[in-house]
Amino acid sequence: MVRRAGGPPSRILYGVIELQHLTKRYGGTLAVDDLSFTVEPGHVTGFLGPNGAGKSTTMRLILGLDAPTSGQALVNGRGYTSLRKPMREVGALLDAGAVHGGRSAYNHLLCLARTNDIGPKRVVEVLEQVGLAGVARKRVGGFSLGMKQRLGIAVALLGDPGILMFDEPVNGLDPDGVRWIRDLMRSLAAEGRTILLSSHLMSEMALTAERIVIVGRGKLIIEATVAELTARYPSLEDAYMALTSDSVQFGAAR
Amino acid sequence: MKAVLSSEWVKLRSVASTFHTIGAAAAMVVLGIAWTVYVGALADERGMLRAAAPEEGFLPLVQMSLAVLGVLTITSEHATGMIRTSLVTVPRRSTLFLAKAGIVALATLATAMSVLLLTYVTSRLIAGERHLGFNESAFTNDLPMLLASGLSVTALALVGLGLGAAMRSTAGALVSVVSLLFVLPGVINYLPPPWNTRIAALLLPNLVPQIASERMSSRLGDGYLPPWAALAVLFAYPLITLTIGYYALKRKDA
Ligand SMILES: Nc1ncnc2c1ncn2[C@@H]1O[C@H](COP(=O)(O)OP(=O)(O)OP(=O)(O)O)[C@@H](O)[C@H]1O
Ligand SMILES: [Mg+2]
Repeated sequence: MVRRAGGPPSRILYGVIELQHLTKRYGGTLAVDDLSFTVEPGHVTGFLGPNGAGKSTTMRLILGLDAPTSGQALVNGRGYTSLRKPMREVGALLDAGAVHGGRSAYNHLLCLARTNDIGPKRVVEVLEQVGLAGVARKRVGGFSLGMKQRLGIAVALLGDPGILMFDEPVNGLDPDGVRWIRDLMRSLAAEGRTILLSSHLMSEMALTAERIVIVGRGKLIIEATVAELTARYPSLEDAYMALTSDSVQFGAAR
Repeated sequence: MKAVLSSEWVKLRSVASTFHTIGAAAAMVVLGIAWTVYVGALADERGMLRAAAPEEGFLPLVQMSLAVLGVLTITSEHATGMIRTSLVTVPRRSTLFLAKAGIVALATLATAMSVLLLTYVTSRLIAGERHLGFNESAFTNDLPMLLASGLSVTALALVGLGLGAAMRSTAGALVSVVSLLFVLPGVINYLPPPWNTRIAALLLPNLVPQIASERMSSRLGDGYLPPWAALAVLFAYPLITLTIGYYALKRKDA
C-alpha cells in the first residue's frame, strides 16, 4: 500500500482486523460467542451468516459502538477507540439510514470529515466517486435507499482508510449499483486494502470475495477461501446452505 | 478537540430545527415591541404605570426555545442513528460530548444575549419619555439582570443537552425541562411556609433575579441567596445534568 512505501512491510499486523475471543451478550441473547478470526489486506473477505447470526454486532464491537462482554477486537493492532484519527485508518458503513434527514449530503459529509481534519475538497471528491455530486445540496431525508447506501459508502471512503467494513452495502442498489459496488470492492482490495463485507447475496459474494467467514448463532462456523468452498460444494450458495443448516434461527417452516 | 468543535458547528448550522428554535427565541423582540406599544398606549391615557420589562416577562419563551435546541443537539442524533455515525468518526465519547456542550453554550449565549439586548433597546426606544416603570432605570442598573437572564438561558440549554443524553428521547427530555421551568415552581408554592420560598429560591426561574440581587417576585418576595450563591446554583444545574448525560453516553452501547 501507498502508506507503507519506503519501508519493508512490517509484521505489526498493519491493515489487519483481529478478533480475539470476542463475546457480546444482550440480556439473555448471546449475540457474539467467543469469536476469533483475522481479516487480512489485499482481498475482500466476505462475512456471511443467517439473520441474527451476529454480523452487525461484530462490526459494532470492532468500531467500539458496543462494548464487548469479553474478548477484544483490534484494528491495526489497537483498539478502535484509541485511534486518534480513526477515519484515516478504518472506514465503515453500518447502517445507511443512520443520518440526520434534514442535512444535505454535502453537509453530512463535511461535518464528519471535519472531525478527522479532512478538507472540503475530499468531500467533493467522494461525492463524485459515489455518483452523488448532482444531489450534494439536497436533503438526505429525500434520498432513496440506494442513494443513502452510496452516501454511507462515501463516508467510509472519506479518510482514504486502509481498512474498510461494509454491512450489506448492496441492499437497495439497482443492478448498476450492484456492479459498481462489486468493482469498487475489488479495486479497493487490489490497492492492498483490507475489506470486510457482509451480504446475503451468495452469487454476488462469489464474484466479489476471495475469502469467506461464516458465523451462526454468534459462533464461527468456517473460515475458508471461496475457491476451497466451491471445490467442495457445487456453489458458494450450496456451501453456505450446508454449513449453516444447523444455525438458522429465523427460517420459515419447511 | 478543535476539529470536533468545528464539526459540531457544521452540524448545528446545517439543520432547520436550529433556525426554528432561534426564530422562536427571537419572537421575544416582536412580543416586546407589541407589549411596549400596548402599555405605552395605556400610559398615554393614564399618565403613568408600572409595567413589567418585556425582556423579563418573556424570558421563559427564550429559555424554552433554546432548551429545545440543547435537547435536539443530542436527541436528534439518537433518534436518527446519526450518533453511531458520529461515534465512528469520534470514538472518544468525552470529546464528542464536550464539543456538543461547548457549541450549545456558545450558540445559546450569543442568541440569548442578542435577543435580550435587542428587546431591551427596542422597547426603551418605543417607550420614549413615557413613565412605564421598566424604562426608568439606567442601563447599568439593568445590566446584571440582562446578564443573569442570558446565563440562565444557556444553563437551561445545557440542562436540556444533559437530560437528552441521559434519556435519549426528545419528548422525555422536553417534559423534564418544562417541569423544571414551569411545573416545579408551581408545585413548590403549595409547600407550607417558609419552605415554599426557601426551596423556590433554588429553582431555575428564581435564580435570575437573585443573581441580579433583586426580589424573586412580588409573591415570593426577597431572595434567600446572595448573588454569588445564586450563580453557583445556576451553574450546578447544567453541571449535574451534563454529568449524568455523559455517563449515560459513556456507559451504554450506542
Ligand atoms: N442492541 C441490541 N439489543 C439486544 N439484542 C440485540 C441488539 N443488537 C443485536 N441483538 C441481537 O443479537 C443477535 C445478533 O444480531 P445482529 O444484528 O448482529 O445479526 P446479523 O448477523 O447482523 O443479522 P442480519 O443478517 O439480519 O443483519 C440477534 O439475536 C439480535 O436480536
Ligand atoms: Mg445485520
